[in-house]
Amino acid sequence: MSSWYACGAPEDDIAVSCRVRLARNVSGLPFLSKMTDEQRRELMERVKNALLESNTPYAKSLKFIDMSAVPHNEAWAMVERHIISPEFAESTLSRAVILSDDESISIMIGEEDHIRIQVILGGMQLEKAYDIAERLDAFLYETLHFSFDKDLGFLTECPTNLGTGLRASVMLHLPVTESDGEIRHISETVGKIGFTVRGMYGEGSGAKASMYQVSNQITLGISEKSAISNLNIITRQLIQKERVKRESLEQLKAEDICGRALGILKNCRILTNEEMMKLLSAIKLGVGMGIIEEKAMPVKLLIEGQPHMLMKKYGSIAENEYDIYRATFMREQLSGIKEV
Amino acid sequence: MLCDKCGKNTATTHIKRIINGVVTESNLCSECAEKSGSLYKGGLYNMLASVLGDVPELKINENQKKCPVCGATFSEIAKTGKMGCAECYKTFGAELMPYLKRVHGTVKHTGKIPNSAPLAVRPEPENADTLRMEMNRLVSEERFEEAAVIRDKIKKLEEKENE
Ligand SMILES: [Zn+2]
Ligand SMILES: [Zn+2]
Repeated sequence: MSSWYACGAPEDDIAVSCRVRLARNVSGLPFLSKMTDEQRRELMERVKNALLESNTPYAKSLKFIDMSAVPHNEAWAMVERHIISPEFAESTLSRAVILSDDESISIMIGEEDHIRIQVILGGMQLEKAYDIAERLDAFLYETLHFSFDKDLGFLTECPTNLGTGLRASVMLHLPVTESDGEIRHISETVGKIGFTVRGMYGEGSGAKASMYQVSNQITLGISEKSAISNLNIITRQLIQKERVKRESLEQLKAEDICGRALGILKNCRILTNEEMMKLLSAIKLGVGMGIIEEKAMPVKLLIEGQPHMLMKKYGSIAENEYDIYRATFMREQLSGIKEV
Repeated sequence: MLCDKCGKNTATTHIKRIINGVVTESNLCSECAEKSGSLYKGGLYNMLASVLGDVPELKINENQKKCPVCGATFSEIAKTGKMGCAECYKTFGAELMPYLKRVHGTVKHTGKIPNSAPLAVRPEPENADTLRMEMNRLVSEERFEEAAVIRDKIKKLEEKENE
């Protein structure tokens, strides 16, 4: 089954993906920092049994992965596919992830909270993502019973997640909004209403590949529905803004930028991660504007061009050879891609 | 107001830190605030940890109070930003309150309540009116299969009433 990033999705000219995450803790057990290894193992078993040996429609597509049996490289390839967090990959404690065939559902057991239900979908499908997460949550609650308080909501290890335990985010590709400097202003404005905008794949405020993640910060005193619908409104405005800005671009100039990027990617022999990001961003813009064929799938290439994903494909790679394999990969993948 | 650090950009962030009982305040631009490190780097998590961590008067009562379930003290929680167990929220509720207000604004959960989830079965008797509302909601969300289940329930209830 193909991954969320390998097929078309609503508004995906600009919205790359959307993600919903619910933090939950099983009642009767201490939080993770106070848990023994035995308790961690017991937790893993309980969650596994609750889901996999059930008759939910999801059970068939889910598999349980004990992370202590996963090699380090493979764990990082999972980070690059946005399935697990970097902290979870690096941890040496007992932990597991329950993953769906298409990798859109991932349930981390033993991350910061006992359970983190994550649903990631391509494009703008926030409600659908929340709906799936909510059903899994309701289902798990029946057998596991999560810690809950009527005033504080779902009890989480870190008080910043109290309440709904919901973190929802949308990843947007905003090359034009970024280039005219408006992103900084937007970031300050949404910050005032409890949302953050941050660059993906980059340190601090800088964003490589012009990818920005918009997410809610507040989880207590706001319902899931409001958080999701506010995020929806904000991101749709950003999408609209970017579209308008794209329309005012000079066509010849846009074609030049996209065509050059495609030319380099199709012919390069050495390609750094940094340069790949920049060029694929131009390809993504080209696809979004109908300049480059849709089947170029720049988001898929961006994920699969990451170091551990390359290693997954080509086997062990020496430190100084990544840029060569990356170039080979891009040439292969884009060889048949044309401008429209 | 210009940034205290670089003196070039407009200050947008007011930072107040209490380190070893000494309050330092500064006004920074977003760039310098970012660079100034831990306070904003890890988002709210670190903000809470750093705020909780350096407040002197909180260290007085930590000596007496321990969570009866997991044994955590408040200074431990303040240091790591992590609660030890669910009971910690009861034990240290009062100490935590000002910080929760600061992070979230409000301290009253208004979201989902377990077992009132759409799929959960509720123990209390159901009546046709509330079921109909629920069904309409599911239909409006295009969750037709679940709506069908509720429609069958309404039918059964009405049959009973007519008997
Ligand atoms: Zn400054
Ligand atoms: Zn405790």
